[in-house]
Amino acid sequence: MTGRGLWITALIMPPLAFVALFIVYPIISAFAYAFFDWQGLRRGDFVGLENFHTVLFVEPYRSWTINAFKNNVIVFFALMVLQNGLGFILAYALWRELPGARFHRIAVFLPVVLSTIIVAYLFKLFYHPLFGVVNISLRGIGLDWLAQPWLGQSGTALWSIIIAQAWHMVGFPTLVFLAGMQRIPSEILDAVRMETESEWVKITKIVWPLVAPSATIVFTLLFVGAFNWFELPYIMGGLDGSPFGSTDVLGLYFYRTAFGNVSAGQQDFGLGSALAVLIFIFIALVAGVITTRLRAREIQL
Amino acid sequence: MARLSLRGIKKRFKTTDVLHGIDLEIGDREFVVFVGPSGCGKSTLLRLIAGLDPISEGEFFLNDQRMNEVPPSRRGIAMVFQSYALYPHMDVYENMAFGARLMGLTKAEVESRIAEAARMLRLEPLLQRKPRELSGGQRQRVAIGRALVRKPEVFLLDEPLSNLDAALRSEVRLEIAKLHRDIGGTMIYVTHDQVEAMTLADKIVVMNSGRIEQVGSPRELFETPANTFVATFIGSPRMTLVDVTRDGERLAVANGGSVATGAVPDAPKLKLGLRPDAVRLHRGQGSEGLSASVVYTEYLGDNAYVYARLADGTLISARTAPNDLYAPDEAVTVSVEPGSAHYFSAEDGRRLTT
Repeated sequence: MTGRGLWITALIMPPLAFVALFIVYPIISAFAYAFFDWQGLRRGDFVGLENFHTVLFVEPYRSWTINAFKNNVIVFFALMVLQNGLGFILAYALWRELPGARFHRIAVFLPVVLSTIIVAYLFKLFYHPLFGVVNISLRGIGLDWLAQPWLGQSGTALWSIIIAQAWHMVGFPTLVFLAGMQRIPSEILDAVRMETESEWVKITKIVWPLVAPSATIVFTLLFVGAFNWFELPYIMGGLDGSPFGSTDVLGLYFYRTAFGNVSAGQQDFGLGSALAVLIFIFIALVAGVITTRLRAREIQL
Repeated sequence: MARLSLRGIKKRFKTTDVLHGIDLEIGDREFVVFVGPSGCGKSTLLRLIAGLDPISEGEFFLNDQRMNEVPPSRRGIAMVFQSYALYPHMDVYENMAFGARLMGLTKAEVESRIAEAARMLRLEPLLQRKPRELSGGQRQRVAIGRALVRKPEVFLLDEPLSNLDAALRSEVRLEIAKLHRDIGGTMIYVTHDQVEAMTLADKIVVMNSGRIEQVGSPRELFETPANTFVATFIGSPRMTLVDVTRDGERLAVANGGSVATGAVPDAPKLKLGLRPDAVRLHRGQGSEGLSASVVYTEYLGDNAYVYARLADGTLISARTAPNDLYAPDEAVTVSVEPGSAHYFSAEDGRRLTT
């Protein structure tokens, strides 16, 4: 081996070992765990696909899985509109340098930097039925009938958390879209202005197609993020996805199944690992399809 | 019909004045070239006419209609950009159809206009290609085609040749001249290259630091430049300016002899402008002329340019026959072809007549 080769090897080995030990090994072992029966922390017999069968087809796991998955789908589509859609509009407004753009560029991105715990706690306070700022404001403008126990009823709890998430992360797609828009040569924009004054045509026919690479990134990351969603529902809805599982998502459900929760205390690594493997495969497959599909419509500037 | 009238146009960016009051009339079917050094405001003026930037002060009329507040897409003006600015995600056909459709033309009308433009610009085999699959010259033709399809009253071209290599440049220049003859619209063309300006223009507008120095036909600018800026900007190699004092009927250079140039304007001090054609060189140190020493010679095949330094340090250029070569440091005497010199005021550089 040449001296250069030795150097490269020496530099690559430590991070490679780190990745192998803390990322590759846990993933593979989770795969393996999913095929065994578990008694607490003690591994039991090899049970083949039994765990997968249980979480997908045996009650009550079946309803729980379906409920959590359904909620994840709602979260994904809601955030697609509230986070990515709004992010695109905000990016466009910032890019066109509307008055106050400099201030808002920072203001929009600032919540992204905040700790998720802080955001969750703040919004929990905002949504408080009696002295939360949301209800106080509603009562203040005479909309008493709209004041709700936002996190306390099945109909509004998930949406309330989604809105907190959208507020928290909207700066990220904004930033990515803004970067994409800033790459569009200014003369192309001038050329469009010579042909139309309609903002709608400019956005749909020119800007949107030209920020396709940004869209690929934020769509894929949102998909992965929405199906791995955990922190906000955990802090705002609790480990059981209260009330009545209305804020339950796959992340919470997996955690509860694998490690148990305070009230039930029952834990099952086998079922939890089976769930984790299913989530992993689902995300990897769909994210792969999304990426290849969206890549195809990207244009080299 | 397209007549443009610019009245007292000023442009200010924050506190910097870029254009200081431009007055200009452009007639129908004219080919007008704005020429000037970088930063003289010629591109800014073009963008004001296009409507891409707002006019700070003054008025712009197109066919007697005030255009200051009319958005670019409604001015009946099309622009060809320096970088061509083709839409990268659309093929050539779509690039040309985009603007035409937005004008509300019928599908058949759009198709026939594109077919016509494609034939005129030899774009037929390229219609399905994306801009990145085209060469620079082809992109240029698509950009012109996109403007043509809209059948505008006024074409604006912003340094359209600057991204092409030298060989292609003269070819496209010819095409643009031919295009103007064929379609007959009013064209405004911005360049910093005086050769492009001289070869294309009906009317040249020479600009410098936000002001118009002179407006005229290429011939007027060359033969009767209004001031020293225009005199040195138009023509290659550039005109030599020599500070001279009146000595009877002759003009004298400080410690460098004197020369007769024909009729001279009545001023004690002036700037003598000499194009290379007006200068005659004689070998050796003579008494009848300005003494100078040769710096170097440019041999160009069909003629040669000799650069020599006068006694006051001015570098003068002279055109000579190609076989009439001078060695560096050779002493020469400069005389002037009678009646071919230009005279400018020593104070403000304006043209003086005899």
